[in-house]
Amino acid sequence: MSAAIEADNLHSFYGKSHILHGVGLRVAEGGITALLGRNGAGKTTTLRALIGLTPPRQGRVMVFGVDTTHWPSFRIAALGVGYVPEGRHVFPNLTVEENLKVPLERPGPWTLPRIYQLFPALADRRRNRGRQLSGGEQEMLAIARALLLNPRVLLLDEPSQGLAPLVVREVFRIVVEMRREGISVLLVEQNVRMSLEIADYAYVLDDGSVVHAGSARELAADPARIAALAGATAEQWTDP
Amino acid sequence: MTQLLLFNAINGLIIGAFYVLMALGLSLILNLSGVINFAHGGFLVLGGYLAYALTPYVGFWGALLIAPLLTAGVGFVVERLMVRRVYGRDPLYGLLLTFGLAFILEDGTRSIWGAQGLPVSIPAVLARPLSSDFFFITGYRLFMVGTVAAAVFLLFALLRYTRVGIRIRAGTLDLDTVSALGINVRGLRSLNFAAGIFLAGLSGVLAGGQLGLEPTMGTGLLMPGFVAIIVGGVGSLPGTLLGGLLIGLASGVTAVFFPSASEAVIYILMAVVLMVRPHGLLGEEGLLT
Ligand SMILES: Nc1ncnc2c1ncn2[C@@H]1O[C@H](COP(=O)(O)OP(=O)(O)OP(=O)(O)O)[C@@H](O)[C@H]1O
Ligand SMILES: [Mg+2]
Repeated sequence: MSAAIEADNLHSFYGKSHILHGVGLRVAEGGITALLGRNGAGKTTTLRALIGLTPPRQGRVMVFGVDTTHWPSFRIAALGVGYVPEGRHVFPNLTVEENLKVPLERPGPWTLPRIYQLFPALADRRRNRGRQLSGGEQEMLAIARALLLNPRVLLLDEPSQGLAPLVVREVFRIVVEMRREGISVLLVEQNVRMSLEIADYAYVLDDGSVVHAGSARELAADPARIAALAGATAEQWTDP
Repeated sequence: MTQLLLFNAINGLIIGAFYVLMALGLSLILNLSGVINFAHGGFLVLGGYLAYALTPYVGFWGALLIAPLLTAGVGFVVERLMVRRVYGRDPLYGLLLTFGLAFILEDGTRSIWGAQGLPVSIPAVLARPLSSDFFFITGYRLFMVGTVAAAVFLLFALLRYTRVGIRIRAGTLDLDTVSALGINVRGLRSLNFAAGIFLAGLSGVLAGGQLGLEPTMGTGLLMPGFVAIIVGGVGSLPGTLLGGLLIGLASGVTAVFFPSASEAVIYILMAVVLMVRPHGLLGEEGLLT
């Protein structure tokens, strides 16, 4: 299968601290790729490198066969990369509908009416401001906003963070739905069990390096392996 | 006495209208680009003089629109060539750059049009007072207030109802996310800068019709523009609007009782507002609502 995104040997820094030590990964087209790892492993930094918000100091990022390593994020996004940031980053001062009018209007199947069909809760709250939404609604809004760009690949950073179990299930259902729509997904998660259930392929990141890459099903079947990969604080991210 | 108070209230309203126009432009640029534009007064002067130069060819009404547009065009180019280089750096860079630009604009006008003040002729319809009782309400004064009101209304409508406006409002809080959603934030900032400069240019044209032109005419409006932003609350355009009107009125009304304090009063007002509401009147929750 060809790759939606391919990253090679990424080295990222925040100031002087060296965060990513040669991360390489591949987001297969049409599949869900999980990127797992405990707090501070470098998952968010990796995603920010891919979308161009924290460009890597070394290494290479290819998006649909184009070298985007030193591109500004808006050009990378315009290739069809949807980004749902950690903590949602909904625009708090804008209404739901205004939030949905921010993304670039790439041609494609996703339109406002279709989004409201998929997320009826957002349709009900279209005139409410972003800051008035619940965590679950904000996550839906962040995903909906990324979808309106009509992305070919979607980068999701911990979409289930801080959500009630029922809402978490809804989020994962939507991620699966995205794959059915033909959108490739790179899913960053700490909810390992549920991620491995829906993912095709999985990477585990620790301390800025990829410590495991392989089929999601195989990893899911090997809890001891998961614990070992995660190091001393395994219980923190293997739970629940 | 009532008439005197009314006279000064109207005066204050007009002054306030200028403060508002200046402050809104400054605020747009500050909110999206994080630059305190000390060259804003320079652009005001440029607008006024461009109108003066254009009037023989396109008349007063033509100049009223074309001069601010040309000024905005100059602002657009200046942003692309210079101002954008200081984005994300220590604010000191932006201050120094725009301070230098202010001198260049002011001295540029001086060397082209001379240091002497120039009179500006306004259409006869606007020059007449409304009535003999209200001799101080000339058509031009009403026209200035009306034009400012129209410009403010248009600005708020654009920010509220167009995608570009919505993106500008989004970008004031979280430009990275706007960029990650595929929006060319460099272009957005240029456009927004030009919009702010358009307002400065418009102030220049309007002020020229009332007071005549002088290369230093922008300086006096710059500080009140900043005060209006702070009184209204940094980050809130409605706050800026409110702040500009308030300090204008305060300054006009004070002119009746303590003429000598009419300039100082805006700073006193600012101090009082900041003591009661440290983020300004609409600063906290009002972020560009
Ligand atoms: N803006 C920043 N400045 C300095 N260091 C940072 C910054 N952001 C993250 N770091 C550091 O970089 C490392 C990797 O952080 P990153 O956010 O990529 O981890 P993560 O895997 O996404 O963690 P989490 O699961 O908590 O979201 C951490 O040690 C973190 O402290
Ligand atoms: Mg993270």
